[in-house]
Amino acid sequence: MEEKRITKENLIKLGSNWVNDGMNVYVNNGKKYTLMKLHEEDLKGFEEAPPLMSYKEIVFPKTEPILYYKKSQKEVEIIEPKIGGVKNIVIGAKPCDAKSISIMSKVFNWDYKDSFFNVRAEESVIIGMACKYNDEHCFCTSVGISPVSTDGSDLFLIPLANDNFGVRIISDKGKELISKYESYFTNGDSEESENVLSSIPIPEKKFNAENVKSWLDKNFESEFWNTTAEMCLGCSQCAFVCPVCHCFDIVDEDYSFTEGRRMKNWDACQNGLFTKHASGHNPRDKQPKRYRQRVSHKFKYYKDKFDEYLCTGCGRCSRGCPAGIDIGEIVERIDKLTN
Amino acid sequence: MENIYKPYLMEIAEIIPETKDTATFKLKFKDPEIASVFNFKAGQFAEYSVFGEGECTFCIASSPTRMEYIECSFKEAGKVTAALNRMNVGETIGFRGPYGNYFPVEEMKGSNVVFISGGIGLAPVRCVIDNVLDLRDEFKDITIIYGARSVQDLVYKNLLDEWQKRSDVKTIVTVDPGGETPDWKGEIGFVPTVVEKASLKAENTFAIICGPPIMIKYTMPVLLKLGFEESKIITTLENRMKCGFGKCGRCNIGNVYVCKDGPVFTYEQMKALPEEY
Amino acid sequence: MTELKNLVKSLLEEGKVTKVIGYRMYGENNTKPYIAVTPNDAEEMVLNTDCRNNLSVYLTKKEIINGGKTGIVAKGCDIRNIIALIQENRIKEEDILIISAECKGVGAEKGSAVYANKCVNCSVKTPHLYHELVEMKGSELSQPKDKYTEAKEKVLAMNSGERFEYFSNMFSECIKCYACRQACPMCYCEQCIADMSIPRWIESSATDRGNLSWNMIRAFHLSGRCTGCNECERACPAEIPLSFINKLMYDTAKEEFNYESGMNKETPTLIGSYNTKDNDNFIQ
Repeated sequence: MEEKRITKENLIKLGSNWVNDGMNVYVNNGKKYTLMKLHEEDLKGFEEAPPLMSYKEIVFPKTEPILYYKKSQKEVEIIEPKIGGVKNIVIGAKPCDAKSISIMSKVFNWDYKDSFFNVRAEESVIIGMACKYNDEHCFCTSVGISPVSTDGSDLFLIPLANDNFGVRIISDKGKELISKYESYFTNGDSEESENVLSSIPIPEKKFNAENVKSWLDKNFESEFWNTTAEMCLGCSQCAFVCPVCHCFDIVDEDYSFTEGRRMKNWDACQNGLFTKHASGHNPRDKQPKRYRQRVSHKFKYYKDKFDEYLCTGCGRCSRGCPAGIDIGEIVERIDKLTN
Repeated sequence: MENIYKPYLMEIAEIIPETKDTATFKLKFKDPEIASVFNFKAGQFAEYSVFGEGECTFCIASSPTRMEYIECSFKEAGKVTAALNRMNVGETIGFRGPYGNYFPVEEMKGSNVVFISGGIGLAPVRCVIDNVLDLRDEFKDITIIYGARSVQDLVYKNLLDEWQKRSDVKTIVTVDPGGETPDWKGEIGFVPTVVEKASLKAENTFAIICGPPIMIKYTMPVLLKLGFEESKIITTLENRMKCGFGKCGRCNIGNVYVCKDGPVFTYEQMKALPEEY
Repeated sequence: MTELKNLVKSLLEEGKVTKVIGYRMYGENNTKPYIAVTPNDAEEMVLNTDCRNNLSVYLTKKEIINGGKTGIVAKGCDIRNIIALIQENRIKEEDILIISAECKGVGAEKGSAVYANKCVNCSVKTPHLYHELVEMKGSELSQPKDKYTEAKEKVLAMNSGERFEYFSNMFSECIKCYACRQACPMCYCEQCIADMSIPRWIESSATDRGNLSWNMIRAFHLSGRCTGCNECERACPAEIPLSFINKLMYDTAKEEFNYESGMNKETPTLIGSYNTKDNDNFIQ
């Protein structure tokens, strides 16, 4: 694998150059993937928790028009939105975030292809970074990711001494991104990077995902669900901060009597109205059923359908849950039930 | 860029009021080119939209053997159906589809077919009835059992008359006890009871059943008792949908997307699903 | 004074309550909501300076409150919400049993050495409605910086256009998850105005317009009702300082009508009461 080396200062300068080239550059500043505009951002995140929100918005915005319309008494004209044309760069993506686009890509591309997602995914370049953070909510290794995995990254940063980074070139997209700016880089030292990578402790798996799945295969009806997330407030923050939750709503919004737009908006299965029919019937009428859906979708249904777990083990949903519900802990309990 | 969310535009060519809250629209594609290539199979559904109100999901009620119009029937229940009900002939709606799987009409050829439906549930069944009747020679005995709460709630009255007049179809129309009018000539009784008394042959017979969940719940055991094969009892599921093509994550029942793997399911398949419909 | 665990245990043993909503430890320096149903469950109950949640939100959840008397562990500030719910006829006092303590304040977040903002100038550290008293554990915390007063002065000095922009910007980060609403003890409506579609009062998209209308309408719906528990802000994944506008409205209710929600169960609610001495003559 080709490796280069860059100083943090140069990396940030490079970011500014990409901004000047008209790209959206997001930098992990340790708390947030902030959009780098005119001011420079500090790059952190090697030792910090994953930012509160993932950057899934770059491929799957919280709200976006899927069409505009003009209408008169009898006629309707549809105007297509223009999307894409702007590259999105993420600098310092956590390995648990870097995997998200390829996981979501499965659902947005089976049979019908969602261009809104695809155009943006094609135009996104993910610069991942090794991760030294690990808390009680992290469990990336349990779902096949690791703090040093380059899966989903186009370039991969390895923090070295004195604010230097080893830069591994993972994909052609990554190579192309930096091709114009070779002068910012020096030759990389693979051995130094390797030493850093091997010094990062790889957390032990908290659960065996296959066991969890096999329990879920058989326990749709189980007393377990009634008591597992009984304190859940149905607040949906878990789904909104999740790097791979992808459910959405479609709504129309008029801005005048003659014009409006149709929007695709984030939605979440923990919301009671999510499955409610206009007739009033609701297949998931209680919170335990909705919580079961959340766990099952992540650890069984998506795996059945797309051969991926719909979870990267980032732990955001648990860190942010106002009721202290920890999906990792719950899944760990399921794993123990199988022993 | 191909926009899978972009609907075709359709003109409302005719509105047929069915009951006080149910209507049928006959729709024509605005673009003749689309009209000439558009195709679907009986049982598939579409997303119909009123611009400014949103989209809603229902089956294509007309038969693919009759492509002059696309027809849909709907009951006013929410925001979009209420808006549809306010529309007039000549106005434009959006149409995305066809989506989902379909009734196994090919596989049904050479067999008897029993159609059982209740209320607005006749809409998804009607497309297959028309389809089968247009290929009448390729099927054996055909029975249609349709029930509604009252005489006022019967939909497709003209079609019911037409079917009742045909000698090659046995048509039984029933209303719930108390829902009859003084001059009602049909049956009085709930659909499951009527099915039980209809002296149906289960052998080499497909049963297609659509209607309110409560009707399906009580009719299924009757069909099984009569000896129908689980793989030949076919119904549709109506989970809430938004996108219609397996993206938005709303209609899932377990790992099944009703919009993609359904809406048509055999009883055998349905039994294997978690009870989330 | 009885020890919490023993108290909860005996309440459950004696059948005085069918369940107790309380806290249990959740890692170090953190707790989470918990329901004790059997006397053994009482073992896990704690009350300390890491008990940030306002548990009164569960009192209007039908799936949790389903018959029998419910015990609830509540700090003074949480009691204000219980009183507000009694004032608004959502719950009956006889259906609940409040277990409280002289409050030491709670930490701003996990492991924090300073109080949560809601503890600043708290007037109900001594509980004002309770049935059982226990001791609150935990170490002394220090005062956080007062960011509110300065921000309030800044906003009050703005003209209406500037304020509009200020709040539009603040709410533009909203992602419309409605976690604020779900975590709020006073957001108990069976059908929230945000979920009504005929007509659609509030655009459901997380656009600037939809965000402003949702957050402003919520602030108005909480005016004279919000007790300042800040659960909305704690739940917000977009880190919007939601308590700011709520506090502005709270201060207005206090200054204009000398009203503070959840202080006295006998007081009629601000919005639900009528006063001929009102400052505005349109209502006289």
